Amino acid sequence: MCYSTVVIPFHVHFRPGLSLYEQVVYAAKKAMIAGQMRPGDPFPSVRVLSKELKINPNTAHKVVTYLITTGLLETRPGIGTVVAVLPEASAAERTQLLGQEIEELVVEAKKLGISLEAMVASIGAHWKRLGGDDKDTDDSGRGGRGKR
Amino acid sequence: MSTITMKPVTMSTVIRTDNLVKKFRRVDALNGLNLEVPQGAIYALVGPNGAGKTTAIKILMNIFGATSGRAEVLGMDSKQISGKALTSIGYVSENQQLPNWVRVDAFLAYLRPFYPSWDRELENQLVRQLALPLDRKLSDLSRGMRMKAALASALAYRPRLIVLDEPFSGLDPLVRDELIESMLERAEEATILISSHDLAEIENLASHVGYLDQGRLRFSEEMPALVERFREVEITFDAAPAVPGKLPASWMRLSSSAAVVQFIESQFDEQRTSAEIRNLLGEARSVTFTPMSLRSIFLAMAKSGRDAA
Repeated sequence: MCYSTVVIPFHVHFRPGLSLYEQVVYAAKKAMIAGQMRPGDPFPSVRVLSKELKINPNTAHKVVTYLITTGLLETRPGIGTVVAVLPEASAAERTQLLGQEIEELVVEAKKLGISLEAMVASIGAHWKRLGGDDKDTDDSGRGGRGKR
Repeated sequence: MSTITMKPVTMSTVIRTDNLVKKFRRVDALNGLNLEVPQGAIYALVGPNGAGKTTAIKILMNIFGATSGRAEVLGMDSKQISGKALTSIGYVSENQQLPNWVRVDAFLAYLRPFYPSWDRELENQLVRQLALPLDRKLSDLSRGMRMKAALASALAYRPRLIVLDEPFSGLDPLVRDELIESMLERAEEATILISSHDLAEIENLASHVGYLDQGRLRFSEEMPALVERFREVEITFDAAPAVPGKLPASWMRLSSSAAVVQFIESQFDEQRTSAEIRNLLGEARSVTFTPMSLRSIFLAMAKSGRDAA
């Protein structure tokens, strides 16, 4: 038997106190939508997932089962689980993946008494700054989908 | 359809204690402990020093006898645990006694014949994975290496129950990771009871957590449920609120300053908790509920236990 380092093709930055299962599912979904995992790529087995992320095998099992039942993974005889061909994620679905972060931002903004307009303006400013030189935000309003 | 095998849904109990009491001279180490560890669980037994964790484990392993009450392990009375029964239990403790004068390979070879289910291939795998130096004497090994040798010798016969008493204490992060990986690889076919103060380590591993304090369980539940019900609450007011004298029993460690009230809600339900806050403290500018790590939950429990005492 030989040992190679198994790489989990996505990062989970665990935040204590939140559902582990949801955190891993989100991380995997993000990686698929961001193209870090492409259709046909092998997905780690329950055992590898558990061992590499140091999570309970039941949690790892739940993650894989969920991803299979929602059609994000497929099982291929003899290969294992692979990433399925995903329908193009809608802007709404992409935004949903940031739900947690957005909620935290809103809570902090409310605490500081920042208005919605001021918050949106501030996000716009940061967006521009990080967008670099290309005058970002095309008029169709589907920012961030450009070719790379 | 899927190639994944489900664990059997029918859960039986692997460890059960009934009103376990242990007195050492004048000290009550266990005070009526009712512990239940379901099959397939990774059960984390946590609690302050002196809470009785090691005593409980030693009674389960039939190293100590109980003063009263009873304990059942793998369907047997713990007092019957010896010889053959020990071949289905893998036990590793912080201060494991090992035959220091032998080499690691001789140690493993010595143990093999005692265990009908000893798996040579698994043994080799563990030796490689844990990087055990087979040609070194146990007495020459570092503390971490000794723990790894002890763990390898306790896992190689595929025990149905793995009991680990403070396995990580005093070990460096790399060794901890190695121990955890080896343990997790066995988790699918075994029930694991682990006592530990290394809460960050076990937070993601444990399926169940039991909090032992003064020889008694203050709670015992599934990890997701525990994480769901604890929140750090911070409420900011425009004007100083009047905090009533009588507050819900589930609010722990409340503190307030001019415009901010903080406490720990141990029975969190967003709607009910929010309504209670409105009714008792009035309208707030903002309310935040922050999920808590196992470590913060432990600290809240330990401090509130001390306040009450």
